[in-house]
Amino acid sequence: MLVTTAGIPSPSPYPSPRWGEGTSSRCVATVRRTLSVSLQVLFVTCALFLHTLALANAQSNGGVLTVGVQLEPPGLDPTAGAAAAIDEIVYANVFEGLARIGPDGAVRPGLAERWDVSEDGRRYTFHLRKNATFHDGTAFDADDVVFSLTRARAEGSLNAQKALFEPIESVTALDPYTVEVRLSRPVGAFLTHLAWGDAVIVAPESAGTNATAPVGTGPFRFSRWRKGDAVELRRYDGYWGDAAPLDGVTFKFISDPTAAFAALMAGDVDGFPNYPAPENLAQFDADARFNLVTGAGEGEMILAVNNKAPPFNDVRVRRALSHAIDKQAVIDGALFGYGAPIGSHFPPHHPSYTDLTGLYPHDPDRARALLAEAGQEGGVTATLKLPPPSYARRSGEIIAAQLRAVGVDVTIENLEWAQWLDQVFTNKNYDLTIVAHTEPLDIDIYARDGYYFQYADEEFNALIAELSETRDAAGRDRLLKRAQEKIAVDAVNVFLAQGPKTAVWSTRVSGVWTNAPLQANDFTAARLKGGGAAEASRRAGSWGAVLWVLCLGGLVYGAYVLVRRGGATYLAQRLVAFAATLAAASVVIFLLTEIAPGDPATFMMGLNATPDAVAALKAELGLDAPAVQRYAAWAGGLFTGDFGTSYTYRTPVADLLAERLQVSLPLAVMALILSVVIAIPAGAFAAARRGRGADAAILGASQAGLAVPNFWLAILLVMVFATGLRWFSAGGFPGWDAGILPALKALFLPAVALAAPQAAILTRVTRSAVLETLGEDYIRTARAKGLSEGAVIARHALKNALIPVLTILGLQFAFLLAGAVIIENVFYLPGLGRLVFQAVLQRDLIVVQSVVMVLVFAVVLAAFLVDIAYGLADPRLRKGRTA
Amino acid sequence: MTGARALLRRTQAAPLGLCAGAVITAGFIAMALLSFVWTPYDIVNFDIANRLRPPSFAHWMGTDHLGRDVLSMVMAGARGSIAVAVLAVGMGLAVGVPMGLFAAARGGFADEAAMRLSDFIFAFPALILAILLTAVLGPGAANAVIAIGVFNIPVFARVTRGAARALWTREYVLAARVAGKGAFRISLEHILPNIANIVIVQATIQFSLGVIAEAGLSYVGLGAQPPAASWGRMLAESQTMIAFAPWLALFPGLAIFLAVLGLNLLGDGLRDALDPKLAGRR
Repeated sequence: MLVTTAGIPSPSPYPSPRWGEGTSSRCVATVRRTLSVSLQVLFVTCALFLHTLALANAQSNGGVLTVGVQLEPPGLDPTAGAAAAIDEIVYANVFEGLARIGPDGAVRPGLAERWDVSEDGRRYTFHLRKNATFHDGTAFDADDVVFSLTRARAEGSLNAQKALFEPIESVTALDPYTVEVRLSRPVGAFLTHLAWGDAVIVAPESAGTNATAPVGTGPFRFSRWRKGDAVELRRYDGYWGDAAPLDGVTFKFISDPTAAFAALMAGDVDGFPNYPAPENLAQFDADARFNLVTGAGEGEMILAVNNKAPPFNDVRVRRALSHAIDKQAVIDGALFGYGAPIGSHFPPHHPSYTDLTGLYPHDPDRARALLAEAGQEGGVTATLKLPPPSYARRSGEIIAAQLRAVGVDVTIENLEWAQWLDQVFTNKNYDLTIVAHTEPLDIDIYARDGYYFQYADEEFNALIAELSETRDAAGRDRLLKRAQEKIAVDAVNVFLAQGPKTAVWSTRVSGVWTNAPLQANDFTAARLKGGGAAEASRRAGSWGAVLWVLCLGGLVYGAYVLVRRGGATYLAQRLVAFAATLAAASVVIFLLTEIAPGDPATFMMGLNATPDAVAALKAELGLDAPAVQRYAAWAGGLFTGDFGTSYTYRTPVADLLAERLQVSLPLAVMALILSVVIAIPAGAFAAARRGRGADAAILGASQAGLAVPNFWLAILLVMVFATGLRWFSAGGFPGWDAGILPALKALFLPAVALAAPQAAILTRVTRSAVLETLGEDYIRTARAKGLSEGAVIARHALKNALIPVLTILGLQFAFLLAGAVIIENVFYLPGLGRLVFQAVLQRDLIVVQSVVMVLVFAVVLAAFLVDIAYGLADPRLRKGRTA
Repeated sequence: MTGARALLRRTQAAPLGLCAGAVITAGFIAMALLSFVWTPYDIVNFDIANRLRPPSFAHWMGTDHLGRDVLSMVMAGARGSIAVAVLAVGMGLAVGVPMGLFAAARGGFADEAAMRLSDFIFAFPALILAILLTAVLGPGAANAVIAIGVFNIPVFARVTRGAARALWTREYVLAARVAGKGAFRISLEHILPNIANIVIVQATIQFSLGVIAEAGLSYVGLGAQPPAASWGRMLAESQTMIAFAPWLALFPGLAIFLAVLGLNLLGDGLRDALDPKLAGRR
C-alpha cells in the first residue's frame, strides 16, 4: 500500500544516533521508557473506549430483519433531499403520506382513508385516519397535513420535488380530520405525487430534526443510526394499522458488491432488496439458503447523450449511436443477462408501454452510413463519463469498443458520484454517459428545462404539458405512447435496457415486495423465521475532549521530563516545528478540499433536485460564506475540540471520529500486536541462525510478506476463512457491546491482512538490529561467561535491539490508523479510513478536513515523541543540531 | 568479530537474490514492452460469448466477464504499472536529489527548510492524500504518478542529503573547495557520482513501492482508466466472481506479487553488492 511508502523507514528523518554504536545503557533505558509511555497512552485510550461502552441490547421475538442497502443516505428526511436512499429506508416504514403506492404500483389510501375529487379535478377532499399518531406520541390531524404541504412548497423549501407541489393553490383544514387541497390547474398524477416519499406527512414539532431523528406515523419508529454502518428501526406499538410482525429492521449500508456477496454468504444480512452484483445471481439462485426474487424494476439504463454538444446535436449522429450499439451484448456482458431490451424511456411492464425495440437494430454499416451522411466520415471523438456502479463501468467498456468500431473514438472517464453530479448532471460538461434512471414514470424529465440531456424540444414539451392536465385513462395512454415514440424517433439517448429489481433474500424471509414500483422497501408485512442476522447495538458518546486530553497528556509528560534534563531550547525548537507543521498542514488540507470539484449540497440533494433546493441547502450549511471565513471557523474550532458538523450526517464530526476510532484504534493495535508477536521472535531467531536455512526461510517469508498487496491478501482470506470455511464473519462489525470476543473476532482477519506487510518489515528490522548488537562487547562478555547462544540473544541482544524496533512501531502505529482504508472497505468495517474515503466521495469536506487533520496530528505527534525521546537519550541534540 | 565469516556468507548469498531479482524484473519489463507490439488477443476485444472461460490452451489465464483474454490483460497491465512507478520514481529523483544536494551543500537554514518540508510531506497519510489528490485532479495514470511521486520526493531528498553530508567532510571535497570550485560544481562532479550507488538502490525500492501503490490506487478506481489494462482494477473487478472464476483474481494478484518481489530482491541485491557495509541489514 501507498502508506508503506512513508511507513518504511528509509534513512530516518530524525536525528538518529547510530544504534549500537554509542548509546549508553542509560539512554537506552530512557528512550525505551518514553516510547513505551507513548504506546501506553494509546493503549489506555483504547481501553477507555472499551470500558465505557454501554451494554444496551434490545431483545426480540418476531426477530429483527437485517437488510443490506447500497447507499447510505445523507439524512433521513425524505422531504428535504431527494436521495432514493432515504426512501429505501423510511418510506412506508417510518413515514407515510396521505396516499401510498402498493406493491402493484397502484395508489392506495395512506393516512387519508378515502378522498373525493371535484368534477374539474381541481379540488381534493381528504378524509384522514382518526387513530394515527406520531412516534413521539403526538396525535396526527389535519394541522399536520396543512403544515407538511405548506412547508413543502414554501419559499426556501428544501424539498427536492418542490415542482410537484407547485400546482397547489391552497391547503385548508375543514375540520380536524378533513383537509381540502385546491389546485390552480388539474394535475393528472396528483394522487401519485402525494404518494411519493417527498410528500409524506411530518409533524411541526419534529420536522426540524427529521434528518437525524425521523418521527413519522409508520409501523416502525427510528431507533438509531450508526453512521457509515446501519440504521435501526423498531416496531411502533401505537401504529394505527395492523402491527408489523417484525420487532425491527436494520438497514446495513454495503456499497461494495464484494462485501455484499460476502455479507449474504456469511449470514450477516438477511437479504438485499437490490442486489448490486448481477454476476452472483445465478449462484444465489442455485443455493438452497436463498431465494432469488426478480421483479420488474423502474430502472431504465440509458446511454445519455448531450443533445447540445456537437456533433450530437445532429439527430443522424445520435441515430448512428443507436445503430452502433449491440444492446443484447450490453445486457449479457454488463448485466449478466438480467435485463430486458427497451426502445424508449419506459418500463415494459407498464400498461401504456409501446414496443420500440425494433427501431434501431444493431447495424454498424448503417451507423457508419449515418455518420457519413451527417458529414462525420472523418470520425467523431467523444468522452464517455461513467458513474461508479458496475453496470455503468462494464457497459461503458463494451459500448466504447462498439462505438470505436464505427469510427466514434470514445475516451472513457470513470467518475465518482460527486464528480458525475458536478460535471455531467449540473454543468452538462459531457458528451456521453451511462446511468440508470430509477424514478417511476419519469419520462417527463425529457421536458425539463436545463436537464442534462439538453433535449429542449417544443413538441415534446407540449406533449408533457398536455399529459399533466389529462386525467382520463385513454387520453393518458395515447399521450404516453406518443411521448415514448417521440424521444425514440429523435434518438435523444440510446435506450439500453430495463434493469430488473433483483432481490436476494434468505429463505427465512417472507412478505417482501417482488416488484419495485418505486424505490422503497415496505416491510410492514415482512416476516422472519427463527430470528434475524447477527444483531447488536452500540452507543457512541462525545469523545473529542477525551482524545485531546490524552494526546496533550502524553505531550506534557515528555516535555516535562525533557525540560528537567535541561533541553529547553531543543524542546522549543521541536515545539515550533510541531506547531508549524500542523498549521501548514491545516492550510494545505483546507485548500485541497476547497479546490476539489463538486459540492456537498448537490450531492445530498440527488438527481432530481431543483437548483432552488440546492441553493437553500448551501445557505443552511453555511457553504456560501467566503473561504477565509470558513477556514478560520474550522481551524479555530480545532483548538476547542469542536471539529464542526458533518454536512452529510448533520452530526458533530468529533462524534463521528470517536465512533470510528472504536474500530480503527483496536484494529491498529491488534495489527500491531500481531506483527510484533510474529516479527520479533522470527527476527531474533533469524539473527541467531544467520546464514543458515532458518534464516533464509524467514527472510524469504518476509520478502513474500513485503510483496503481497494487502488487499489481495484480504480478498484471499475472506474467500478461504469466511465464505469457504465460515470460521470468521466476512466483514462488518458487531459493536463492542455485542461482547469483547465477537468484536475481536470481526477484527481478526482485517488485522491479519493489515499486519502482514508490517510484520515483514519488522522482522527484517529486528533481525538486523539483533545482528548489530551481536557485535557489541557486552555480548562477547556474555558469551565468554558461558551463556548459551539462545540466552545471549533473548537476554542481551534482543533487549538492546528493541529500540529501533520500538521506534518503527511508534511511527507505524499512526500510519496503521490511516492505512486501513482499503482493508476497511474489503471488510466493510466502519472505521476511520472508510469514513474519510466516503467523505471524499460524498464531498463531506469538513469531515475530510478534520479526519486528515487528526491523522496528520497523530503522525506528527508520534514523530515529536520520538524526537523528544532522542533528545532525552542524546545530550548532544539538546544543545543543537550536531547529529 | 563474527563479521568476516558472515560477510563472506552474505556476499556469496547476495548474487543469488540479485540474479533472481534481475531476472524477474527484466521479465516484467520485457513483457510490458512485448505487449506494445503483441498480445495473444486484443485487450479491447470483447468476446461476450466466450466470457468467464477457465484457463485453457486457447486462453492460458482464462477469460474475464467481458470475454477478454486475461493473459493479454496481465501483459498490458505490466505496462501501466511499470510506467506509473518509473515516472513516479523519476519525479522523486528529479526534485528530491537536487533538493538533498542543495540542503547538504548549504547546510543551515536551507538544510533545515528542506528537511522540514520532507517531514511535512511525510506527515500526511499517503493513501488518503492520494485519494484526495485524485479527487481534485481526476482519476487517471498521470495523476497517479503525481500522487505517488509526491511521496518519493522527501525519500530521495533525505537519502541524498544524508549521504552527501557525510561526503562534504572528506578530503577530496576539501581539496576541491581549496581549488576554488563552487558548491554547485562540487555537488555535481564529486558528490553526485559518489552517492549514485545509494540513490540507485533507493530508486529500486521506491520502484517496487510504486508498483504496489499503483495497484492500490487502481484498485480503488483512481489509477489508469479503461480501456487501458491495470492489475489493480482487474483485481477489483474480479472480486465478486472469485467463487466461480478464481483465475480472475489469482493472476493479476500474482503478477503484482512477483513484480514487487523481483524488484525487492533486486534492490536488496544491489544494496549488498554496491555497499558491503550494509549487507544483510534488511
